[in-house]
Amino acid sequence: MELLKRLFEEKGVRVDWEAYERLTAVLREELEWARELRRREADWSYIESRPEPLRTALKLLVETGDLKLASKLCSIPLDELNEERIKAKIPIVVVSLKGDEAPEGA
Amino acid sequence: MFSEIKREPARSFAFALAAERRLLVVPRLETVDALALRVLELVNADPSLPPIDPPEAYALAFAKHAGLPLLTDNASPKLASLTLEELKGVEVLDSLDVLRALYSGETLLRAVREFAEDTGVRFSARRLRELGVA
Repeated sequence: MELLKRLFEEKGVRVDWEAYERLTAVLREELEWARELRRREADWSYIESRPEPLRTALKLLVETGDLKLASKLCSIPLDELNEERIKAKIPIVVVSLKGDEAPEGA
Repeated sequence: MFSEIKREPARSFAFALAAERRLLVVPRLETVDALALRVLELVNADPSLPPIDPPEAYALAFAKHAGLPLLTDNASPKLASLTLEELKGVEVLDSLDVLRALYSGETLLRAVREFAEDTGVRFSARRLRELGVA
């Protein structure tokens, strides 16, 4: 965080650090929960049955939740990968930035 | 971003929307490019958070420039709009914000359920509670 603060300061960027710390704490918790949800809900036998590079792209998607990243790194068109994602039962998870209580189910 | 739409049915759908004036294709503007590059660098400065790519950074910068809301399910642009002075005031909406703007009550609950089934998009319990949907 200190490194980030210094970087932004050097660039003359004004940041509401109090809000940043509060929101990112919730976001990190939500992202971890989302990763677990993707791992749990993914149809692993379907994923393992796919040819490369699709199989790697789907595994990357489970871990990162980043469809565009997986699409670019594995050179698979975005819409094609999205269709495969739905077949592989990998959810895109929309998370919260505002904390109330520990995350649970979707 | 338009170049990312590769398949013919999706492109046809986009063109039909544009013909009905329901889709606006925005040209790249130099004035927006500068902010977009800055947004890209700033939002991606923390590698432990979801990144944004250049088209999304441009969309966020254009939203600021034009006073329009940005629609995205990526949490990082929303985080940026809430914390970076340069992006203050930009409205960033996710799928749940849009559904909530369109429906209410029981219809909203049904719409959320159907949307999740159709798209494989899920909302966290916190996010649902945040908007009073759960």
